[in-house]
Formats: sequence, C-alpha cells, structure tokens
Amino acid sequence: MKLTKRDVYLGRGLGMWAWLLHRVTGLLLVFYLILHILVISSSLGGSSLFDPLLRLLQTPLFVLLEMGLTAAVLIHGLNGIRIVLFDLGLGVRRQKEIFAVLMALAAAMWVWAVLVAYPNLFRVL
Amino acid sequence: MMATNQNVTLKAYRYDPDVGQEPRYDSYQVPIDETTTVLEALYYILERVDGSLSFRSSCRSAVCGSCAMFINGMNRLACRTQIVALNSREVRIAPLPHLPVIKDLVVDMAGFWEKYERVRPYLITTVASPDKEWPQSEEERKAIEEAIDCILCACCHSSCTMSWWDKGYLGPAALLKAYRFAADSRDQAGLERLRLVANEDGVFRCHTIFNCTEDCPKGLSPTFAIQELKKRVLWKKLTFQM
Repeated sequence: MKLTKRDVYLGRGLGMWAWLLHRVTGLLLVFYLILHILVISSSLGGSSLFDPLLRLLQTPLFVLLEMGLTAAVLIHGLNGIRIVLFDLGLGVRRQKEIFAVLMALAAAMWVWAVLVAYPNLFRVL
Repeated sequence: MMATNQNVTLKAYRYDPDVGQEPRYDSYQVPIDETTTVLEALYYILERVDGSLSFRSSCRSAVCGSCAMFINGMNRLACRTQIVALNSREVRIAPLPHLPVIKDLVVDMAGFWEKYERVRPYLITTVASPDKEWPQSEEERKAIEEAIDCILCACCHSSCTMSWWDKGYLGPAALLKAYRFAADSRDQAGLERLRLVANEDGVFRCHTIFNCTEDCPKGLSPTFAIQELKKRVLWKKLTFQM
C-alpha cells in the first residue's frame, strides 16, 4: 500500500510551528557554532590566515547571515523560555498567547539589534 | 457561511485489503442542510449510494469516540462535525493518520488500547472498600474533572508527531488517563502511577507540540496533563522520593 495515497497530517496549530521553528533555529545555531569555532581557531595560524577571514565576514553576504543569526538566537532563546515555563507547569493553557508575545518581543529586539549593530546600514544602502 | 439545502462533494478514502487494489478517493454528491453532520452524510452514502463504504460509529453524540476520522485536515468526530461549519464545498475524509487501515475509514486501534492498558487505567486501592462509596470533596473532584471527559477516540493519539515516530510512546490519550488516576484523591497506587510514565516512552517523549490539544474534539488538554505529570515526577526525583 502506497503511503502517498493517504492524506498527510499537517499540524495547523501554532504549537506545531513553534516547535518546528525551535528545531530549525536550533540546528542553525549548532551549524553556526561549528563555523564560529573554525573561524576563531584560524587565528592560531597567524594574521595572514585570520585577517582575510575577518574581511570575508564583513562582506554583505555575511552581514546578512549575521542578521539571520541574530533572529535565530532571539527566536530560539525566547521560545526556550516558553518551553521552560511549560516544564514548570506554567502557562500550558496559554501557549499561543505566550508564543505570540515572545515572537513580537523577538521581532522588536531584532530590529533594535540591527539598528545598533549596523548604524550605517541605511546610509550604505 | 455557505447557503444551505445544497450539495457538497464528499471524498472518502477507500481501501479494501481483500481486493488488493491501490487505495483511492471516491467522490459522492451529498445533499445537506445547515445541521447535517459528516456522519449523517456518510450514512446517506451507505444507505443510498454505496453500501460497501466502511466506517465506525455508534452513539452519534460525541460520547462513544468511535467515529474519529481525518476530516478536512484535522482529526475530528464525524458525528459532531457539521458540514456547514467546515466552510468548504468539499469534504475530504481519510482514516486517522498513522494508524493501520483495516478497511476504508476503519483503523486498527490495537496499538492504542495496548498503550491505554499500560498505564493501568483503573482505580487501585490498598485498603478495604468502604461500605458506601469512596468519598471525595468538591475540590478533589475538580482536579480530575477535565481528564474524566476523555472518550478515547484517538484523535490526539493520531495527531501526535511523537506517537508517529516512537511506536513505544504512550501518547497523549494514555498519559491523560495516567494523570486522571495520579490526580485522583481515591487512588492509592502512589508512586507506582508516576513510575509508569517516568521514562522516555512516557511523559518525557512529549515535546509540547500541542497537536493533541488542538485536535481534541472534547476540548481537553492532554499536554496540560502531561506537563503536570512531568512536574510531579521531577519533584519526586529532586527530593529523592523516587
């Protein structure tokens, strides 16, 4: 019997998306951590190795990735607080509201972080 | 809201293991009014169009939990789902996801009941029964009020992504039942209740995805029950009582 013939359950609840977002950002952070350790450890090879790498990290592509990283940290961290609350038995019946508030907070913090980290962003663009 | 007294297209999943053909969806035109339920539409097909369509149902009033199906993207009870409320020209019905299909819309619930048995879903007492009844205060009764409403329809069990991939996981329905007895003032099984669920196939497999709470046709929150059990287990472990 082919599985394709069967309708697939796609969770439509917010909780499922919160979970998926948490997983995906978690994996991205693990990937970033490896990259980070590689970049930092390259400084052991002297400035001839490290300086070009640092220049590479200041190119527009990596600036964009950095903004994405900030978003991932905020989403994962703030939703992490939500999950910890659940494990303490708090707010389980208010999970959607808690998620909405925390993600609004994440968005606000992200805008603030970008403005602080790249004050010249809009002048450059 | 749709206008009433018209036809909708009902697409039902069809599979007969004896025939051995590929599963397919059959389309039926069903006349409805504003109160027609999905179950009534299925009975209309069974009685007037196609007598070979198989599905489970019994009480028709959301008490027995027999007619749980995958209807327009959600696990619902066919008997308490009014077609007008689906707000769609098409009603698509499949058997509960991730349960083995016996025929058409009928799924094999053996695994579900096996898990239900594992949490010992009955009152366990160690002292002799009182002459009349086990007394309970209003407050003690309130603690289990929600969990008692579970009708074991398996909507939650079938929507839980953790149940899909970990076949040993007790799942939301069994864990809600475990909580129902752990929180019951009359139950005397004590730590045994928590031991039954304090493992990776128990409460700790729950990742608080909330699909069970989302799909429960009785509006219960198995996630809440699971988190309460987690909290109790954690407390007993931290204080070396377990």
